[in-house]
Amino acid sequence: MKPTGVLFFPAFDWAITPTHPEREERLLYTRDQLFEEGIMDLPQIREYHPRLASPADIARVHFVVPDLDSHITEAHLVAAGSTLVVADAYMNREIKNAFAIIRPPGHHAMSVSHGNRGFCNINNEAIMIEYMRKKYNIKRVAIIDTDVHHGDGTQEIYYNDPDVLFISFHQDGRTLYPGSGFTSELGGPLAWGTTINIPLLPRTTDEGIHYVIDNLVLPILKEFKPDLIVNSAGQDNHYTDPLADMRFTACGYAILNEKLAPDIAVLEGGYSVETALPYINMGIIMAMAGIDYSNLKEPDYDPGMFIESTKNMNAIEQIVKQQLAVFRHRQDVIEENRRTGPAWFNEYKRIFYDTDYIDEEQKVRISNCPVCSGVRLIDSSAQHRNGRLYDVFCISIPINLCPECHEKGNTIYKDMIKNGKYDLVYLQDRIDDKYLCYDSKTDQEQSY
Amino acid sequence: MLIGIDVGGTYTDGVVFDGDHILSSVKVPTDDNNLLQTLLQVLDELLNSLQNVDQISRIVLSTTLVTNILATGRGERTALVLIPGFGLPHNAYQITTDTFFLNGAIDFRGREIEGLDENEIITLAQQIKKMNFKRVAVVGKFSNRNASQELEIKELFQQIMPEVSIFTGSQVSNQLNFPRRAVTTFYTAMILPEWINFAGQIEAALKSRGLQSEIHILKADGGTMPLHKSLEKPCETVFSGPAASTMGALAITMDTKNSVVVDIGGSTSDLSLMIDGQPLYASRGAEIEGKLTHVESFSLKSVALGGDSPIIYNHETGKVDIAASRLGPAACFNGNAATVTDAFNQFYELGLGDTKRSNNFLGEIAALAQIPINELCDQVISQVFERLETEIKAMFLQWENEPAYRVWEVVNRSPFRLDRIIGIGAAAGIIVPQLARRLGVESVIHAYSPVANALGAAIVRPTMSVQLHIDTQQGICIAQPGGEVESPGNLNNMQMEDARKLAIEILAEQAVQAGLQDYAQDYSIQMEEQFNLIRSYHRSGKIFDVAVQIRPGFIHKYKGVKI
Ligand SMILES: [Zn+2]
Ligand SMILES: [Zn+2]
Repeated sequence: MKPTGVLFFPAFDWAITPTHPEREERLLYTRDQLFEEGIMDLPQIREYHPRLASPADIARVHFVVPDLDSHITEAHLVAAGSTLVVADAYMNREIKNAFAIIRPPGHHAMSVSHGNRGFCNINNEAIMIEYMRKKYNIKRVAIIDTDVHHGDGTQEIYYNDPDVLFISFHQDGRTLYPGSGFTSELGGPLAWGTTINIPLLPRTTDEGIHYVIDNLVLPILKEFKPDLIVNSAGQDNHYTDPLADMRFTACGYAILNEKLAPDIAVLEGGYSVETALPYINMGIIMAMAGIDYSNLKEPDYDPGMFIESTKNMNAIEQIVKQQLAVFRHRQDVIEENRRTGPAWFNEYKRIFYDTDYIDEEQKVRISNCPVCSGVRLIDSSAQHRNGRLYDVFCISIPINLCPECHEKGNTIYKDMIKNGKYDLVYLQDRIDDKYLCYDSKTDQEQSY
Repeated sequence: MLIGIDVGGTYTDGVVFDGDHILSSVKVPTDDNNLLQTLLQVLDELLNSLQNVDQISRIVLSTTLVTNILATGRGERTALVLIPGFGLPHNAYQITTDTFFLNGAIDFRGREIEGLDENEIITLAQQIKKMNFKRVAVVGKFSNRNASQELEIKELFQQIMPEVSIFTGSQVSNQLNFPRRAVTTFYTAMILPEWINFAGQIEAALKSRGLQSEIHILKADGGTMPLHKSLEKPCETVFSGPAASTMGALAITMDTKNSVVVDIGGSTSDLSLMIDGQPLYASRGAEIEGKLTHVESFSLKSVALGGDSPIIYNHETGKVDIAASRLGPAACFNGNAATVTDAFNQFYELGLGDTKRSNNFLGEIAALAQIPINELCDQVISQVFERLETEIKAMFLQWENEPAYRVWEVVNRSPFRLDRIIGIGAAAGIIVPQLARRLGVESVIHAYSPVANALGAAIVRPTMSVQLHIDTQQGICIAQPGGEVESPGNLNNMQMEDARKLAIEILAEQAVQAGLQDYAQDYSIQMEEQFNLIRSYHRSGKIFDVAVQIRPGFIHKYKGVKI
């Protein structure tokens, strides 16, 4: 049996600010626990060494405004690069699956990145997935976001891509950051039904979450038949997390990973650094490596500590039923949208960067193509903390677009440069693996 | 004058070193069944070459005794009692058939999270007593952060079985990694009686020869320790032979290049790396008898391929192979089999020993394989190079792929750039220059290469280290070795400078106690870490980890060799 790959990168020399929850200490006790257990010495585990992600790896997913150096630190590049290391090891069949225990996290980072939101600057999972789609020709991907917060960044990146299934269960957006992830968010018109949200009431327990896994997530995965399953593995559903209010346990996380059997899990949030993280991280590794985890528990855990209420179970059953129907209907709805929709689908958005206090305005347009999911155009403006206002135009050509839309995206890029109205014009051409950024002030084009 | 003796697997080497040159050297075959005898034979031959034995200030020995005891199962039967707490299943810690488990648990901050069960301990003690164990090793998970449960068990055990020797994990190591701590403690308990016996015999032998010199034992980390210190940590003497060779290589080069040291012995070749002139350590500790330990050791790779490895014709595959087991010396040195040395001797016309014998024995195999002798030699030599090259490259790769936990470690890492190969051991001069040419780097073969291991042993300085763990919130201040430390002043006001200063003071104090005051000032900081504890956006304490050490190096008098 092949081993499970573990890449542990605690970034012991990096913090957002000295007293921020995303701090040096965050994975210290996880380090202590993993090392003291000696789990890395077991034949079932192989430890990997991180590397830096390249500018092209970032540009494949993000439009970083104004440029990479402005707010992407080396720590971000190492965290993102770590996911690429395990992706390579997985694709080269060195390991059967992998867990990247890395920080800083990424699942709140969206396509356009003006700064840090929800502790994230760049989206580690998306960077890994696009790398794997390009390098290894992976077609269908499922991302299960098990963080307590809605993975709004990952959702936004794949909202219009029918080949990437995004499922997130989280504490209800009415009671927790980022305030999204409602059942009505189901994907763009041509990718409807491959975004599935399961908002849960505060204090949901193992029982409630496992009901969702068994009756919604696993059946959908079976029907979707992904080539790759990624767990966006936040650990803040834990009953001791200081930033959220759920009742999930370390054992609950271990069982979840055993059932889900992700090919690659990537750590996201989780800020109960002493009473949750050491045990959850152990549990996930053990479950992924097929090691008996019956001796693992939090010191204060007592079976029967948390009982799910009938009322909450009924509510969960209701959501599960509703979302399963959505998923099974998706082809019909997409066809209908394609037939009746305009030539371009339009959307207006405001995005708030809580960490950096930036307000972004976006106009998004998706072309209504009869054969593919369409080219995506984002007109974004935001005032950065240094007072500068940026108006940028971004063109995204996902890897699965038709030749016509591919061509169309490239033409629009040239047109927008001539237009001269934007500070920066970006072209993200994943088909040709070509990433350009034109700066109208200097009349220079940067290529990644 | 200094004496260094390295008891190797095939040969035992000894030198007398004075000023800047070797006065005399001795090489005899090692008698595995009587290492002491071999050792004393070499010592006596060295002493006989001297006018006056009073001038010998220090004798350093490197020996394979501990490895031999463990490999042959001669260690004393020992019960291993573990307190694994929560986490991996108990079967992950089934280190020996005599492993027992007890309830209780400590966490990473040193807090007791599950109490001991006194009845369970008493029952187990009675069982162990009934089973006639004379030695018990007691090791708890996170006992490096809080040893109280180990000590309480030890006390109860001692009351029930006063005649039994009890070892605790916290007295052996305070590094993280419970299974390695368990293995190291278990091995220590097993080998100590025979080691004490050996040390006693050495002391008596020196006394009977009228020697007043200091006596040191070489360690796997390339440093020495006084003989009496080895009674606390005998496991540290494993792999001291290869460490001696690495230090010998450093002694004859004394610069800051990136090197691979290739020590070619009779039946094995030992490889080690030097980066910027510093030997590279094994990040996971020494692996003894297939188990990882907390013994600090150089990163070593042993290949079953030496100058005396016999060449054989494999009738099944129809191919020429190099066998793993040594039969005797090379044919050219009056052995009775064609060896790797003979192949090099023939092919490169080295003129070693009786070249006719090389030719004759190689000819027999060539006839079997139905190929010309030169073709046979070429095949053998290619195999030797390929195996060594593969192992060397694997070592580079391993170094490049060491885990990193800090951003700067990832950003500043570069691929290994090899400058040269240093050849050590009798057969190195034959093989290493050609190997270096193949890899496109320079090679170093020194006149002292054949005895560089014994030279290394003679001139290396003592090493020691102190690790300090401070948790201001938990009020913990523990040193290893030494245990709990009285903190100077208020722990809550502690800063990195204070923690570092405290660690250095403890090291100096321990150096003096061990009679090593001359080296107390030669310390360097091996590792330092500090973490602010943040609770609800406020700093609520600090955790410090500091390790200071007297790194491997040479005694003050050593300034290089002259031939
Ligand atoms: Zn989160
Ligand atoms: Zn199209």
